[in-house]
Amino acid sequence: MNRKTKFLRGFFAALVVSAAFAGSAGAAPAWNFEGKALEGSETVMGAAFESSLTIPGLTTKCENFLYKLTIKNELGTGKGELTEMPLYNCTTDTAACSVKTIAAETLPWPARLTKIEPSNYIIVEKAKVGIIYSGAECAVNGLLVRVTGTAGGLIDNTAETATFNEASFKATKTELKALSSAVIWSGVFPTEAFQWHRTQALTVS
Amino acid sequence: MRMNRNATRVVCTAMMAVALTALGLAGSASAALTGEFKKFEQCPYKTATVERCMYTLTTGGEVILGTKKVTLEKPVTIQGGYTEPNEAEGGYAKFFAAKDGNTISKAAQNVPGGLAGIVPDASSPFLVKALIKFFFENSLTGVSSTLELAKTASDIRINETHLAEGLGVVMKLPVKLHLENPFLGKSCFVGSSTSPITWEVRPDTTSPPKPNEPITGNPGEVQFLEGARILKLSNVELVDNAWSAPAASGCGGIISFLVNPIINAQIGLPSAAGKNTTRLKNTIYTTTAFALNKNYETEK
Repeated sequence: MNRKTKFLRGFFAALVVSAAFAGSAGAAPAWNFEGKALEGSETVMGAAFESSLTIPGLTTKCENFLYKLTIKNELGTGKGELTEMPLYNCTTDTAACSVKTIAAETLPWPARLTKIEPSNYIIVEKAKVGIIYSGAECAVNGLLVRVTGTAGGLIDNTAETATFNEASFKATKTELKALSSAVIWSGVFPTEAFQWHRTQALTVS
Repeated sequence: MRMNRNATRVVCTAMMAVALTALGLAGSASAALTGEFKKFEQCPYKTATVERCMYTLTTGGEVILGTKKVTLEKPVTIQGGYTEPNEAEGGYAKFFAAKDGNTISKAAQNVPGGLAGIVPDASSPFLVKALIKFFFENSLTGVSSTLELAKTASDIRINETHLAEGLGVVMKLPVKLHLENPFLGKSCFVGSSTSPITWEVRPDTTSPPKPNEPITGNPGEVQFLEGARILKLSNVELVDNAWSAPAASGCGGIISFLVNPIINAQIGLPSAAGKNTTRLKNTIYTTTAFALNKNYETEK
């Protein structure tokens, strides 16, 4: 074996090792209760502290934005399914438009955890919400406005919340669209177990 | 004499007062819409069955008709009112003409190559050659193409759901292209009321017959104006490349029997579906007739 071959082999081995380390650094995180990885499944429920959807010039807010998320770990990676998301008492920031109906469509929506250094995020995929606005002066009166896409939220282990906002969408390269354009969805959701791990601290790592 | 002078004065004063009142009324009626609503001044929003209004400004794009490509360099507006969606017609709404009749504004677009590009001197009959020579020598060689409605505005169809979702045919538009040049005369058209060119423009992907390939438009970006009373869609690209065009008619005036075949041969008319393309770059505004009426009542 000459010196050149040795060098190339060593270089290749170093590349493989560094790639493996890079992989583990970005490895998908898991759901944990009291610091121990979740076994089996659990149901997380809650209501958004605050939530709004903004299409430039029209912001829609819901007083009651509830959700039910079934979570589990698969091969060490946190996964989930958003199974329920009832929305009540929704209004807009305009005098012209009211919310006639608003509902999540095609549930369940798959969810997964991901790490984008230095933070953990939850990605909700295949999201679909149908909104019908009313109001004789409202430009979209009677028109079904569909919000579709993927939403990425920042997990805060200390506060036990998932926060969805412009920054979390940018970090996760996710996007929700309505009327063919990108929209901003803001919301802070508590992550609290309601089945086997009630009162236990839920963290993601 | 004095009485006559007084009577004249009284009549003059009364006439002036009537004229001023009339002007005043006319002024308040036409200037009633304010802000962004002004765009919809030509929408027949007081017509009972008009539920919504549309103002579309086309600022670019192209029309490929057979072998000729015309770039849209001058803006074109398409405006009017429309009804609630008609479910029996697949959700398409019936259109109403603009109040001033300019449902499609007439903007003459330059045809590249001008007269030389559509009437070749070499292969033309003697009479045509002589006329072309006359027009060329007079530098009247430029040819323009103007988009006009081929049928009434009520034959236009709008689908607001498709516009909102960025999927499907948004507008069905029966049009004709008016080719203008002193040599071609005033009645040189491709398309007519009995044989219109029908554009079915959409912001998504077309599925045309060959030889055309599918092309994709752009649903644009949304913005609400005037407290969500106006929906504005910018950078909307509406496309259709599945339309057909009939032969030209009325070109060359009294020698149209000679000129029509030359134009048809040069442009490739009639042009079958799959050989023509429309690409319109637009900003689209829509609102409700109720919002316009309220703005009018508030501001007058």
